[in-house]
Amino acid sequence: MPEIRMMATTGMLGYGYTEKAFQRGLEQNLDFIAADSGSMDPGPHYLGEGVPFVSRQALKRDLSLMLEAAVDKKIPMLIGSAGGGGSEPQLALVREVVEEIATEKNLHFDMALIHSEQSAEYLKAKLADGKIESLGPIAELTDDEIDQSERVVAMMGVEPFQAALKGGAQVVLAGRATDASIYSAIPLMRGAHAGLSWHLSKIIECAGQVTTPRPGQDCVIGTLRDDHFLVEPGHPDKRCTRMRIAAHTLYENPSPYRLEEPDGTLVTIDSVYEQLDERIVKVSGSQFEPSAAYTVKLEGVKESGYRTVFIAGVRDPILISVIDDFIESCHERVALEAQNLGVAKDSYRLNVRVYGKNATMGPREPVQDFNGHEIGLLVDVLASDADTSKAIMAKARYALLHTDFPGRKCISGNLAIPFSPSDMPVGMTYQFNIWHRMEIDDPLEPFPIEYVSV
Amino acid sequence: MATLAELTSVLRSKNAGALLCTLDLMFETEETYIHVRDSGVLQPGLIAQLYGVSDNEVSIIPYDVAYAIKITVPRLYKSGDPGDTDIYGAQQHAPLLDIEIPD
Repeated sequence: MPEIRMMATTGMLGYGYTEKAFQRGLEQNLDFIAADSGSMDPGPHYLGEGVPFVSRQALKRDLSLMLEAAVDKKIPMLIGSAGGGGSEPQLALVREVVEEIATEKNLHFDMALIHSEQSAEYLKAKLADGKIESLGPIAELTDDEIDQSERVVAMMGVEPFQAALKGGAQVVLAGRATDASIYSAIPLMRGAHAGLSWHLSKIIECAGQVTTPRPGQDCVIGTLRDDHFLVEPGHPDKRCTRMRIAAHTLYENPSPYRLEEPDGTLVTIDSVYEQLDERIVKVSGSQFEPSAAYTVKLEGVKESGYRTVFIAGVRDPILISVIDDFIESCHERVALEAQNLGVAKDSYRLNVRVYGKNATMGPREPVQDFNGHEIGLLVDVLASDADTSKAIMAKARYALLHTDFPGRKCISGNLAIPFSPSDMPVGMTYQFNIWHRMEIDDPLEPFPIEYVSV
Repeated sequence: MATLAELTSVLRSKNAGALLCTLDLMFETEETYIHVRDSGVLQPGLIAQLYGVSDNEVSIIPYDVAYAIKITVPRLYKSGDPGDTDIYGAQQHAPLLDIEIPD
């Protein structure tokens, strides 16, 4: 197999990369350029609302240089997990930005859009067939849970990318995809070693994160050969070190030795990492164990309610010394006030976090004796409609500000409230309710491909 | 006796997906890594107690090639659930810092 050279421009489309690294990478006879555009790390909100967690401006900047270069060099450009979660509105946004750039720069190319959002009917049929199981500590799926979902995406493997490329697309905008599939699609289509291909892909999908010095995202170049691969930074002042590359399979995975993909598992037990020169690391020995079944991960969210947030400080030492009991009495007072408004106690959720004490770790906080001179209260209310959420927060704010406590001297107010307005409505919020895996016979089935001539 | 705060060069936590929290301990030298790995201190029972989970929910994997030890536990809440305190899971490592490793 002739060597395959690829460039990951950034670990997250919209997080940026330097033009210096990018231009230097382009001089290296690349077979394709690519970037991951998604992650569930920022939580369920973005999939729920179908919006990106980076700005449109940042998406446009990162896409713009890539698109121009791909058209100029006549090489494929692959984007995975478009717009944050790869859902329909997120994919549509990335398409819109790409078409805007094309119009402005007078670029022409064939493009494929790979959809990954799943219908309730399809999921229910798969569930009835016994093809869906939980992926970790979460309840088995039910029809009811599927019906409650706001949006569900399936995570594609390499096959939909490969089909889109064979279908004539130069630019592929994919919905939700495994990070490594973006980079392994072309190598595996050309007969590359599966273990090496998946391992290289897994390393470069985070791009700048595997380089040193660390600050900022940037381009990383991968070169895949028959019995090893090389990883090097695009930027001439940055380096890849053996330790950083080896350590990368630890990142965000439960095991550094076994990394699951739809059609098997990357096994790094026998991987050998060598420092080739100051900037380049060579890796060999990685293996791939094909699995009997082809499975794709499902990610879905449902509504949690409308949230209103309120922040205040407490400096009074007497109140700080009784803060837990005080908060409990405020909960009781708010429940009574809610009743007066005709709002049942179980139809809203009031949460008061005590920053300075245990707001970061909650019940897992090991430090029990706390003696700070100041604490921060972060209060949030979840309710089924925006008005109720705001109304309960107004009552909670009043209760926290003016409720008595033993030994109270600060009778004109218990809180330092930094802002006016003090109560911040953040709109509808979501929670993950589907984190499962689905077995499919055809890797393309849940991922329809749409071709567009730009 | 030294603490993991003193012995590690990296001690971090992060989500491994929305359901799991993974904790990475990295060491500057092979010697320190092996000393901690073979100390017998990092057992599922200890981690289970610190994170309020049961022993069989704890995974501990030594990773020789990077002088690292990976510990994974279930999150207290799914990322972003009502009540969750740390969406990215990036500040859940503190209970490990004070663990003492005999010389």
